[in-house]
Amino acid sequence: MNPIRYTENSQGMTGKGGFLTARAAGLVLCDDCHKLMPCQNQAGQRVSFCPRCGASVHMRKPQSLSRTWALVITAVILSLPANMLPIMQVDRLGASDYSTIMDGIIYFFEEGSYGIGIIILTASVLVPCFKIFGIMLILLSIHYKWKSWLRHKTLLFRIIEFVGRWSMLDIFVIALLQVLVSFGYLSSVASGPAATYFAGVVLSTMLAAVTFDPRLLWDA
Amino acid sequence: MACPYCDLLLKKVGLERGQKAVCPRCGHLLYASKKNSVDKTLALSFSGLVFYLPANFMPLMTLDTLGIEKSASIYDGAVALYQHHYFFVAGMVVVTSLVFPLIKISILFLVSLALKLRFYPPGLPLLMRWYRHLDEWGMLEVYMVGILVTIVKMYHTAHIRYDAGFFCFIALLLVALGSSVTMDKHLFWRLIEKKGQ
Repeated sequence: MNPIRYTENSQGMTGKGGFLTARAAGLVLCDDCHKLMPCQNQAGQRVSFCPRCGASVHMRKPQSLSRTWALVITAVILSLPANMLPIMQVDRLGASDYSTIMDGIIYFFEEGSYGIGIIILTASVLVPCFKIFGIMLILLSIHYKWKSWLRHKTLLFRIIEFVGRWSMLDIFVIALLQVLVSFGYLSSVASGPAATYFAGVVLSTMLAAVTFDPRLLWDA
Repeated sequence: MACPYCDLLLKKVGLERGQKAVCPRCGHLLYASKKNSVDKTLALSFSGLVFYLPANFMPLMTLDTLGIEKSASIYDGAVALYQHHYFFVAGMVVVTSLVFPLIKISILFLVSLALKLRFYPPGLPLLMRWYRHLDEWGMLEVYMVGILVTIVKMYHTAHIRYDAGFFCFIALLLVALGSSVTMDKHLFWRLIEKKGQ
C-alpha cells in the first residue's frame, strides 16, 4: 500500500474560500507544459506565449463553454441516426440482415454471451450517454453556479475524459469483421450508414472534453 | 505549481518511491515518483518502434470456415472501410490505430533519446506539445479489446488461428502503455527547459 502525500497549500496564503488560486495570485498555468508563470511581464504586458514550450497561454481555455456546448449538441444530434440506422449489414446466402447497435447487443444477450454483451453495451451505449449527460450536467452547473459537489463533478469530468476513447470499440470490431467475414455469397459483413454518425459522436464528445476547462467549475 | 483541474496554488513537495501527490481540493493526481524515467522510456519506445510494423501490417488472425481461409490485419480493416466508401470512419480508424500511435511512440523515442544524449535541438518543446495533444487519440488498447470481441464473436462459427501479428500487437500495446507510464512529463519538461544544466 503506497501512502499518498498531499501537497501543502502555499504557506497558508488564502484567497476565496480559504484557497489561493493561481489566478488570484496573478499567475497563469501553461495548458501544454504546465509551467506556472506570472500573467504579466515586467513591462506590465499580458504574457501570451509560454517561455518554455511556446504554446499560447490563456488564463482559461478560450470560449470554453460555448465550444463545449456546440460539440455536445452536435453529439446529441448525431447520436439519433447513429442509434436508429443499421451499423452492420450481414449477408447470408443472398439474404441481407441489417442490425442497429442495440440489435447487436440483444443478439449477444440472447446467445448467452453476457460478458461480451455488457462490454459492447457499455462501450457503445452507456459511455456515449454518460459523456453527453455528464458534460451537460457540468455545463449547467457552471451556468447556474451550483457550488455543491464540486469535487465529485471534477471527478466526473476526469472519468468522461478517460472513457471517451472506448466508444471506438464497435467501429474497430466492424472493421475487422468486414475483412474476416467476406465469403462472397455464403456470408459477408459490411458496415452500415450508422457507422459514420457513430464515429461522429465519438469525435464530437472527445473534442467536447478537450475544449472544456474544469477550472471553470471552481471559478463559479 | 498549480493544479490544472482547479487552479489551486500549491507548494511542490519531494516524493519518495511509490508516493503520489494529489490535489487537496479536487483530488487530481498531480504527479507520481518515477525512477529512471528517461532510460525506461527510451528502451520501451524503441521496442515499440520494432513491433510497430509487424503488429499493424501482418495478419492478426486467420478465420477458417468450410475450408476457406480469411486473414485480417489492422491495416486491412481500415482499407476495407475505405473500399466500402466509409471515408470518415476509415479516416478515424487509420488515425487512431495507425498514425497517432506511431507518432506518439516516435516522439517518445526521439525526445528520450535526445535527453539521454544531452542533445537539445529547438524542436523538442514542439514534439512534447504534440505528444500532449495526441495522447488520448491513439487507441491501441481499445483496438485490443476490439480484437478480443471479434474473437468471441467468431468463436462458435469458425476455427480461428492466431498469427504473428496478433502477438506483435500485444507486445506493441504493452510497450506503448509502458512507455507512456514511465514518461515523467514534469521531469522531461524540466530537463528541456534547463538544457541539462
